[in-house]
Amino acid sequence: MAENGVLTQLGGVLTIALLLVFFGGTFIMAMIIRKKKENADGYMTAGNKIGFGISAASMTATWIWASSMYASATSGYTYGISGPIHYGLWGALMILFIYPFGKRIRAVAPRAHTLAEVMYARHGRSSQLMLAGSNILGSLISLTSNFIAGGALITMLSPLSFGQGILIIAAGILLYTLWSGFRASVLTDFAQVLAMLGAVVIIIPIIFIAAGGPSLFVEGASNLSPEQKNFFSSDAFLNQGAPYIAAVLAYAIGNQTIAQRLFAVREDLIKKTFVTATIGYGATIIGIGMLGVIALYLGITPLDGDTNNLIPQLAATYLGPVLLCVFFIMIIGSLASTADSDLAALSSIMMADVYGQNVAGRKKANPRVMLLVGRITMIVAVAGALFFATGQMNILDMLVFVGALWGALVFPVIASFYWNKVTNAAFTVSVLTALAVFIPVRFAWFSMDGVTGIFFDILSVVGIGVVLGLMAFGFFGKKPAVVVGIVASVAVAPFAIGFLHDYAVLSGSLIAYAVSTIICYFMSFRSKQRFDFELIKERTGDFDTPDELGTPDPTSQASDLAPTPSR
Amino acid sequence: METFFLTLYVLIWPVVVAGVLFVVCRAFISEVRQARREGRDIV
Repeated sequence: MAENGVLTQLGGVLTIALLLVFFGGTFIMAMIIRKKKENADGYMTAGNKIGFGISAASMTATWIWASSMYASATSGYTYGISGPIHYGLWGALMILFIYPFGKRIRAVAPRAHTLAEVMYARHGRSSQLMLAGSNILGSLISLTSNFIAGGALITMLSPLSFGQGILIIAAGILLYTLWSGFRASVLTDFAQVLAMLGAVVIIIPIIFIAAGGPSLFVEGASNLSPEQKNFFSSDAFLNQGAPYIAAVLAYAIGNQTIAQRLFAVREDLIKKTFVTATIGYGATIIGIGMLGVIALYLGITPLDGDTNNLIPQLAATYLGPVLLCVFFIMIIGSLASTADSDLAALSSIMMADVYGQNVAGRKKANPRVMLLVGRITMIVAVAGALFFATGQMNILDMLVFVGALWGALVFPVIASFYWNKVTNAAFTVSVLTALAVFIPVRFAWFSMDGVTGIFFDILSVVGIGVVLGLMAFGFFGKKPAVVVGIVASVAVAPFAIGFLHDYAVLSGSLIAYAVSTIICYFMSFRSKQRFDFELIKERTGDFDTPDELGTPDPTSQASDLAPTPSR
Repeated sequence: METFFLTLYVLIWPVVVAGVLFVVCRAFISEVRQARREGRDIV
């Protein structure tokens, strides 16, 4: 336990020993499933038949990253008691809202590897490359962010430097992911989720009790503003919750780590997996966010003024050496599980979308070369993320920005799976236009006074209708979705028009949704194209043939649908 | 009363997490056993 405000440190030797135990353990797990001759499809989606336990653990572990733990605590510290809900609940519900779309995507492309690959089969190259490009950007930022979080933690809790910290973490993750790719990623996710969730169960009550227990809420009440004490804080909703609702729907659709698990899990287990991950993610992240609320009640000032330091700071203040080790493993587990998923995602995009579809062509793609491409991608991605990690970007802003960027893709991507009239031109033009409008609004490049502000508020109101309509569409179909969308827009219009443009993050995200939806709809509804979704099954599928795998694969649907060997 | 609900609000999340952990672990163990019976890797 810390005394006189001094933070408990782990020490250099103990830190290195913990990292050795963690990465050594994950490396051994990866070695257990290692095959001398890995196959390309296994490297990307593990054969499309993962069970519920591993897939639910993997979805949960991937969705929880170190940044989300830090950001939830920051939200609790900044917005008070409702803060963690406005971070964690919406993030969790988005996993839930994505699963109906996931079922549809899996039904039309049962053996695909990436969402971009499916877009190629549906539309063509430009749509595929836009989605793949945004996936690469997102995964690289996520990788960088996790390295930063790990480096910062190691710096705070040990005498090791930030540079040494990120190097150890990057090397450890690369070591166990490089050979078996996605297979290693999902298996180690189970151990990581065990460490993370187990630590959450122990650490939150202990910090709460050590910080004063229930009396904290009486003695520290004066440290909160009336808004921070309000569970229904509009400040928390408008600044944290609402932009996050908008961003995370996009995040789930645009994120290859989620798509990859969607294609990997056994098809009949999709719903069960996503529901479990929703609860697991929500409870973990909201729970961790409570540490920010505790810090607020305690009147703690974040170290160096950086709210990302709050969780390590509380842990180092209130936990003894043993529990501090548990806490350390929890954070390392959260960042490693997401970082290895990012590496697997990046490698599969380069293997399937860049090499498989664009360089060699699907029928000529050589699985051996694909594996090499995947492994080289992992090494280059780690080097790139290490380079960017030295910049130390703001985690929360970055998260919202990437999510909003993907907002432009949400409607065109979803519509492409249900509406046979959506064309490649509609997809491409709508996304690019939405991005062109989003960026100046998000970064306030021009004044929003007068008519300009009103115009963008109207677009934002349309965006609200689109977001809520899409959520309803996944569960209830088209008619209820249209009703929900229209009612939502009409209901919020009187309250939103005239002031929503003051919230640039929220406004930017909503405008991205609105612009891409309007353009995609109007460019498609008079189109004469009637796309046959059955074609997607033929155009996507395994790169390895049963002969190459050594055994025939009776479960392979693609081999029945695509009589021409894939290489 | 407010103190009670705030305490509950902070402590309910680790309980839910423990429940999820139990469900996931139970499923994982059964998948490992099944994979062993069938003589294949779990992933």
